[in-house]
Amino acid sequence: MRFEPRGVNVALVTPFTRDNEVNEKALRDLVDFLIEKGVSGLVPVGTTGEFIYLSEEERQEVVETVVDEANGRVPIIAGTGASSTLDAIRFSKHAEDAGSDAVLVVAPYYLRGADKGDFQHFYELAHSTSLPIILYNIPQCTGAFLRREVVEDLADIENIVGIKDSSGNLPYLMELLEKVGDRINVLIGYDEVVLPAIASGAKGMILASANVIPDRWVKLYEAVAKGDLETARRIQMIVQKLVRIFCRYGGNVPVKEALKMMHFDVGKSRRPLTKGGILGPEVREEVKLELENLGIIESKFSIAKTPQNPLPERFQNLSIEPEVIMKEKLKVGEGFAGQDIARVHVDLLGGPKDSPVGDAWIRGLTNATPGHEAVSAIVEPNLMVKPITLVMPAVEVRSLRQASILFGPIQSAIGKAVLDAVENNLIPRKTVETYALITKVTVNSEASDRRILYHNAYQATSDAINQVFGGLHQ
Amino acid sequence: MKKPWLKGVMPALVTPFDENFEVDEMSLRTLVDFVINEGVSAVVPSGSTGEFTSMSAEERKKVIETTVNQAKGRARVIAGTGDAGTDTAIELTKNAEKIGVDAALIVSPFYLKPTDKEIFEHYKRIAESTSLPIILYNIPQITNVEIPWWVVEGLADIENIVGIKDSSGNMPYMMALFEKVFGKISIICGHDEIATSALATGADGLILASANIIPNVWIQIYKLIRERKFKEAFAIQRKNQTLIRIITSRGGGLAVKTGLNMMGLNVGKARRPLVTGGLLRYEDEELLRIHLEALGKIPKRTVTFRMKPGAITKSETYVVPQTPTEASDFTLRVGEGFASPSTAEVAHIDLSLGVKDGPVGRILQETLENPKPGHEPKIAKFNGKEIEPQTLLVPTVLVRTAQQEKFVYEYAMNGVTRAIADSIKQGVLPSRALNHLAMIAHVFVHPTASNPKRLEINNYKAMRYAIRKAIEGRPTLNELLERKESARHPFRYTP
Repeated sequence: MRFEPRGVNVALVTPFTRDNEVNEKALRDLVDFLIEKGVSGLVPVGTTGEFIYLSEEERQEVVETVVDEANGRVPIIAGTGASSTLDAIRFSKHAEDAGSDAVLVVAPYYLRGADKGDFQHFYELAHSTSLPIILYNIPQCTGAFLRREVVEDLADIENIVGIKDSSGNLPYLMELLEKVGDRINVLIGYDEVVLPAIASGAKGMILASANVIPDRWVKLYEAVAKGDLETARRIQMIVQKLVRIFCRYGGNVPVKEALKMMHFDVGKSRRPLTKGGILGPEVREEVKLELENLGIIESKFSIAKTPQNPLPERFQNLSIEPEVIMKEKLKVGEGFAGQDIARVHVDLLGGPKDSPVGDAWIRGLTNATPGHEAVSAIVEPNLMVKPITLVMPAVEVRSLRQASILFGPIQSAIGKAVLDAVENNLIPRKTVETYALITKVTVNSEASDRRILYHNAYQATSDAINQVFGGLHQ
Repeated sequence: MKKPWLKGVMPALVTPFDENFEVDEMSLRTLVDFVINEGVSAVVPSGSTGEFTSMSAEERKKVIETTVNQAKGRARVIAGTGDAGTDTAIELTKNAEKIGVDAALIVSPFYLKPTDKEIFEHYKRIAESTSLPIILYNIPQITNVEIPWWVVEGLADIENIVGIKDSSGNMPYMMALFEKVFGKISIICGHDEIATSALATGADGLILASANIIPNVWIQIYKLIRERKFKEAFAIQRKNQTLIRIITSRGGGLAVKTGLNMMGLNVGKARRPLVTGGLLRYEDEELLRIHLEALGKIPKRTVTFRMKPGAITKSETYVVPQTPTEASDFTLRVGEGFASPSTAEVAHIDLSLGVKDGPVGRILQETLENPKPGHEPKIAKFNGKEIEPQTLLVPTVLVRTAQQEKFVYEYAMNGVTRAIADSIKQGVLPSRALNHLAMIAHVFVHPTASNPKRLEINNYKAMRYAIRKAIEGRPTLNELLERKESARHPFRYTP
């Protein structure tokens, strides 16, 4: 009986040591972890495994290690793709000798021979090995689709047993299911559309995110098999943000970062990939939050305390003492909105620029304590609001992600609330150029739903503005 | 060549609108006079730059009529009469013929993607319906359809098809046109960024959006190419490339209108859905202004600065209609500057500017005496000497590494000091009152920045924009109220 790829297969990362060598131990740990989680198969040396940066010896080492560690517990599908047909043949022969159960072979890339060249590549490969072959379409890396017409013909070859489609293009996937679904197994390789693919008839998946959330995919796969689409849909939605980040921010880099957060010693991606590149520190932090939300890593989160001391005492870090507020008749107000982690609290101080508020406004910007850096409110870059409004975090900001929330949804919501108040004449027009406003904002450090935070910050600011300016224009 | 006159520099005219977004006939006449006086060979109303898709058939007719009437034979008029549908294009072309234009410029059909056969027949039917000379128009970045070169080759055999305007910017495509129809019909370049290359290769003329603004530049280049002075021609193209790129890739007609308004030719706004801050980003607007100033396209005027009661300074500087004639109240003025590209090297500056004995001056001293670690302020210096006005640079992001330190205090600082020097040179900061002023620039440098050159350039630009906006009080309240609903903060959305 010929091998049929199906179920949940993991596109393994290739762990590296600090010296940038293949880290065999970490690889074995990862293999064991995934098999224990119930995956159907493992795929070393694929795109996620950075095959493009591995030497031939390293590719062999990784395949051999995975075969050895799996020890027959699950099938091994070795990535043996290469730009050159001869290389792909040689790699596949090695995979066969090493004891792989099948090979996954990416369509030719860089120099391409169009449809004819693609066909010839797989045709020659199929006749050079007796291993089952899975075709692999990933146009976002190769630069072109492996065309359905070519796949249709290749599917007639005995040892071509499947195709992995990582394009994420559902019309293309439907075309494959229609034309070759009865002859070879179609596998989904794009994490964001696993459910529609499986529900439509794809027989399994090969996913980068399966390194991190193998059990979720196993559950989703089982749910679809039982016809329980409700459960499958719920699982897909729960993991959607995490896998979107994996798919859209470089594939390999965020998966490795996630695994490191889970204490797998997988090391860095090889150059030119860096975690400061497409992923960036802000999004890396989002990965961490999602892993916490999914219960994969522990969350040390506690809800931030909202200020309890009397309102006039809350601006002392800007050298505005309660007595100054009294003496100068400065206006203070506060507002809050939202529940639990999404709660936002805003303290507001307003006064003429030539009062102590003017000094405090610049002081807040200039004399920032690390973690309490302030900015002036904009609704978007280049639209700084009037009256000028300072946004100062009351809770320490520890990451660039937190900073991007404070200086994204929070500051634009504060800015919008100020401008709306001007438009509605709640903030008098005569103060637009002569006043300065200072907001101190309490946002939970682990809050992540930017849409809700925006609305809560808007509401809290609007309420605070009401208190400050409510009586001014009478 | 079927129409020997079809050559030279031909501006793709914008359609001026008044405050109620109606066609502004007077302004159109002024524009037509302006470009004809500069020496253009033809004018092209009602094309892509003229926002034809946002105009009714009557309006297009009116614009064409007005243009013909104002040109009075001093320059040829090529009317844009394209449409997605063949019948409408025929009707528009016949109208233009009645008005008395010299030729019609007809864009390839768009939206529903026609095949090459359908494109061929579109043009063939139009050509048969009129005796007007017809110019084909390829602009795939807008139409999503490229007129294949073999279609152009076939259409060139039709008697009254006399030219093709290629705005694709795709040089291999244009080379195929040269190969197949050179000498038979006029080949006109419509992509400003490669115009000199196209002329040097043999293009007969230019129909350009930027020719509304810098007709003189294009006429000069055109002449130099005719005189085979290629080196000189390319030098001029290079010098104007930034300005040209903004116009070509940042909104065409809207960018042109923005530039013309800055020059004092009041052509109004573009119709919806085009809005400033969209394809034409706010930073593009500022950069466009700097380049127009360098070309002497923006008028100078005296601005009065009232630093404080009794202290009046005047400064001669380039002004746009939004520039106030007087700037008073220097207690605390703020300006924001933002410049890209590249997310890693993006520059964002919050500038506080004010008199020395006001909040800015006081906090500047206070900060120097009590610097916060990680946000250590540095006094801006040039060649080791403190500059005027006294300026403090404060990093917005905590400085943790030696590389960050170098990026903030060396590369970003260089950009900031150069911007101050140029702002003084340009009269934006009043040179006779610098000693009254203090500035604090909060400079955002992303920790992942890696390209020093870009970082310095972006900070130069951001600082120039910030200074100008602080002085001019921009964005104005009206601009803010008009733009607040459609504002889209880049970090506002969950990844």
